[in-house]
Amino acid sequence: MKNATLIKGAGAIAVGAGLLLGGGGTLAWWNAADSAAPGTIVAGDLNVAKAGAGVWTDRAGNTIDVASYKVVPGDKLTFTQTLTVTLTGDKMAAELTATGTGASSGFTAGNVAVTTPVLTSGGTVITNPLTTSKTVTATITFEFKSSATGRADTTASYDLGNVAFTLTQIQQPGLA
Amino acid sequence: MYFHRSVKAAGLILAAVLLGLLAVQGTYALWSSSASAAPGTVNGADFIVNLLGSPSGQSTSMTMADGSAASLALTTSGSPASELTPSAPIYASVTASNDTDAGGTFNITLAAGEPIIRNEVGSNLAQFMKVSAVTANSSASCSSANNYQELGAAGVTTASIAKGASKVICFKVHLISSTPSTMAGQSANVFVPLTATQVCGVPSGCP
Repeated sequence: MKNATLIKGAGAIAVGAGLLLGGGGTLAWWNAADSAAPGTIVAGDLNVAKAGAGVWTDRAGNTIDVASYKVVPGDKLTFTQTLTVTLTGDKMAAELTATGTGASSGFTAGNVAVTTPVLTSGGTVITNPLTTSKTVTATITFEFKSSATGRADTTASYDLGNVAFTLTQIQQPGLA
Repeated sequence: MYFHRSVKAAGLILAAVLLGLLAVQGTYALWSSSASAAPGTVNGADFIVNLLGSPSGQSTSMTMADGSAASLALTTSGSPASELTPSAPIYASVTASNDTDAGGTFNITLAAGEPIIRNEVGSNLAQFMKVSAVTANSSASCSSANNYQELGAAGVTTASIAKGASKVICFKVHLISSTPSTMAGQSANVFVPLTATQVCGVPSGCP
């Protein structure tokens, strides 16, 4: 009885092995392979950086050192800061803004005229949004009006504070 | 019942969180970059005009520390004017120096206005005195100058005085020819207002 059982088991194993061999033969007949190279995805770039230190000039366009220069009525000084704006990307779009903060004036308000930062490129005021890299010039003018009277505002000071330039990407319409 | 309310509350919180995340997602998902510049401080110049009187030798800034106008004596008891007679005028002068610390061009003029002549107590001399003035480059040339103009409302104004330069206004006081001899020994004081004015340096003009 025990031998019969062993024989039956060995037979079953043999049948199974035969079936497996039959299946292996099917896989060996046809085979195909191909490959694809999706490529490399490269990210764009967005950056705004100062291109050197800002420069002060007088009404005649001569460079001055604002730390030692003393203004008088009729003086008009211009601060110029060149910025390098980098915008790379097929669907890149960004807005550039300039914001002055922390200014404090010791001058009589009516005796001076100080502009907010004006951003130009190639002599033309920029229009947001920007989509390509470019050189942008930011200018601020300080005018000590010639209408000042008496000894008004002698030795006064005007701290222009800081000017922050911010380049912010915006989502183009239709870009999912 | 309690379980039902808990599920509702959890649902509301989940919805609020999702809404909040969706609302700010765009802002944080996009790139931004910034740079800053510090233009610095613009400083106003000082309007400094120094005066030197002659023959007194006294000097002063036109503006005192408290902002008031200075007074400069051209003659003093130690440096008196010469004796004034109908045939011999006397001379004095003031030298104005443009000592501003302005960074750019800063030219000024100095003007002498209409004089005020006041008699000393018991004197009637003032009505016979005339004051005239002329501009010069040196106080030494006052007695030899021949273009004196009587000081009136129009005054006498120097040419433009550049930064660091100076000009002189000479004064001549004389007695008119009809001055009676009874005026001998009498005295009067002469006051001349001086005004320094910035010359407009703006290309488009000044108001």
